[in-house]
Order: sequence, then C-alpha cells, then structure tokens
Amino acid sequence: MTTDLPFIDPTRGVSKTRVPAAPRPMDLRGKTVGLLDNTKEQGDVILETIAQALRERYGVAKVVTWRKQFYSKPAPAEIIDEMANEVQVAVAALGG
Amino acid sequence: MNGAVDEFQFFLEKEWSDGFPVVTPTEERVAWMLSGMQRDPEALVGDIPPAMEPATVRDVAIHALMAGCKPEYLPVVLGGLELILRDEFNMGGVQCTMHGVAPLMIVNGPHAQKIGLHGGNGCFGPGFRANATIGRAIRLLLLNLGGGIAGKASATVFGSPLRYTACLAENIERSPWQSLAQSRGYAADDNVITCAMVESPRLHFDDCSKEPQRLLRGIADAMAASGSWNMWFPSNVVVAMGPQHAAVCANAGMSRKDVEARLLELAGRKQKDLKPGGNWRPERARAMGIDPDDDEAFIRAVKTPEGLHLVVAGGTGPVTAVCHGWNDSSRAVHGIYDA
Repeated sequence: MTTDLPFIDPTRGVSKTRVPAAPRPMDLRGKTVGLLDNTKEQGDVILETIAQALRERYGVAKVVTWRKQFYSKPAPAEIIDEMANEVQVAVAALGG
Repeated sequence: MNGAVDEFQFFLEKEWSDGFPVVTPTEERVAWMLSGMQRDPEALVGDIPPAMEPATVRDVAIHALMAGCKPEYLPVVLGGLELILRDEFNMGGVQCTMHGVAPLMIVNGPHAQKIGLHGGNGCFGPGFRANATIGRAIRLLLLNLGGGIAGKASATVFGSPLRYTACLAENIERSPWQSLAQSRGYAADDNVITCAMVESPRLHFDDCSKEPQRLLRGIADAMAASGSWNMWFPSNVVVAMGPQHAAVCANAGMSRKDVEARLLELAGRKQKDLKPGGNWRPERARAMGIDPDDDEAFIRAVKTPEGLHLVVAGGTGPVTAVCHGWNDSSRAVHGIYDA
C-alpha cells in the first residue's frame, strides 16, 4: 500500500506478488507426469493423446491422471498436494 | 490535495478501474461511510476470489465510498458481498470464466425501500444512485481485491453491461403478488438479498396478449435459446415481469406459483430444434439423462423450481426482461442482511 498519498490507496497487492514458474526439466525420460482433467468435454481425449505421446516419444516412465470435480471450480487442495508429491511434471487440460 | 498526484488519474489508471472516476477515498470520508455501522471495521467479510485478497468491513466501506454510495447503502453492499462469497455461488468461477454473467442482486424488504433502491421505470439503469452504486461497489471489490480483470484472471469474451452494476428492487407497489423473498419463506419486513448469476436482460415485448397463456408462452420462448447455458445445465433464469404483464396474469386469477409453474413447464425446446445451432453436444444431452438421438425430447430452460427467479419490476409498458443463466456450478443464494 502506498503511504505518501493524500488519500487512501485501496490496493493491497499482497497476493498479487509474482510467483516464479517452477524450473522446466529439459528431458522427460524416466519422469512421472501428472495430468489434470478439468472435466470439460473432450479434456479427457486431449489428455489421453498427450499421455500416449509422452510415453512413446519422450520416454516418460509413468503418467497419472487426476480429475477435478467441476471445471469452473479450483482443484481441491488434496488433488494439488497429491500431484505435487507424486509427479515431477504436470499438464492441465482445458477441454472445450 | 498533493499537487504531484492527480487523484482522478491515479484511480483511472489502475488496471482494476471500471473506467469511471471514483469518489476519492479519504480518512474523513471513510469515517463518514462507516458512521452508521455497528460492525468492527477490521472484521473480515471474506476473501475475494481468485486473488483471495481479504475484504474487511473497512475495505468494503472504502469501495462503497469510491463507487458513490451513501452510508445507508453500506449494509446492502456488505450483505451482498457476504452472499456472493458463499461457496455454492462460485463467484471464483465467474471471475475467471469466458462467459459474461454477473451476480444480479435482487433486494427485498423495508431497508431497500427506505434507501430508494429502485424497482420501477428503468430499474436496470442508468439513473438511480442506490442501484448504480451498490452494484458498482461490489464490482470494484471483485476487480480490485478479487483480481477478476479481463485479460488477466478473467477470460471473459465480452464482459457485460451488467458488470458495471447489477442491483435492483422489486416494484412491490405495482406487484399483484408477494415478493420473491416472501415466496421463499421470509417475512415482509425481513431485509433480504437474492443473488443469481445471469446475463444482461433480454427484453420481451408483448403488447398483444390479453390473457396469460399466450403471454407466458412468449416469455417462455425468450427463456429458451440455443447457445444459452441454462439449456444444458441446471442453472438460473431471472424473469423480471413488467407490472402490466403481471396484471394480465393476476387478473386471470393466476398466483405467483401458478405463473412460475407455467413458465417452468413451457420454457424449453425440443432437442431437434437445439441441434442446428448453439451448444448442443451429445455428451451434454447424455449428462442430463437424455438420449442425444431422441429428437422429440423436451429440453427445459430451467431444470428445477429453485432455478427460476420471478420478480415484478420495471415501469408501465408491455415488457418483461429475461436474464439467462450460467452453469450448474453456481447456485443462487439468498439471505437476510443486517440493515
């Protein structure tokens, strides 16, 4: 919050701090990849195609898929935690 | 004022600006806004998604002031914000969606009347301070503390005029029926807000029907359109019936419940009429338990009685306003607020 203004600045700016993106691995071989289906129509089709390509072309060891409860709502914290614990790379799909 | 800072430019240049000048929030003015408020200014009202910045009573007062509210409007803004932050309303989803729905506040009870919240001629605006500024205060909170900014967190394709403000009363003086709130079990002197996620109103003119069956068939037709999400998801539709149309129904002996039941029954399309355009998909039909090949299946515009919000509003004239809904992740909310 700006303090030298002659009026109130209603901007908090606390959670608008930029969070750096996680480093991207340059090689997917042997890695576990998590896929997050947002439940929108054909999101599952997109992810199945990606999973196949990851295995066949990039040597990914394991692909694990999670599914949100509803596309318009954030993924539950349990799903995020599970993914964070189990995978090295994650892909989220927006069907449509 | 500090000569180095132009207060108008300061706010207009914020990315969360709604594009209009604001009343400059000073400590004196915020104290004035809070002057009738019994609640602790530091009490948390809620965290606004998706940025999840906390909004205290004082934060709400600051935004209400900026929006142009009077202190007696503040309880409605606080009550509205508390309602729209309920989990089942899914404000976070609407803050981010491609769609352009907005949380429409329908306010019933004596406080709304006392502060001049308008339900008559031109109630969707412009021109009425309480309607204009209460809804604007909510929007400024959603933009600033929620971060629902188009092109940032919000993927909205068009936005909506209803995202400048979305707040109205019923035209109780001209209504032949009890209020929306009373129809849901509240007392006439309860101060109640109902919020539903809807699109901007579509006007349905009918200056021909002298009896309700033809009138309601036409209004039902306006409720059902290919391309509306309420066709494929249990959602909400607001029908703001002009007093003249309401009188056609009431004069024929129809109660509010009768009109609601008839609209629920009539509003929809056969599946074959939804296939040539819009958002029909076989998987959407299946999700509703409908065989996609059953062309004669009747797809209702409103799936449950709770999804239809019938109010009497607007001025004299043969018009009813229909607001289509969003998807089933948002359920309408209503509750009493402390005036």
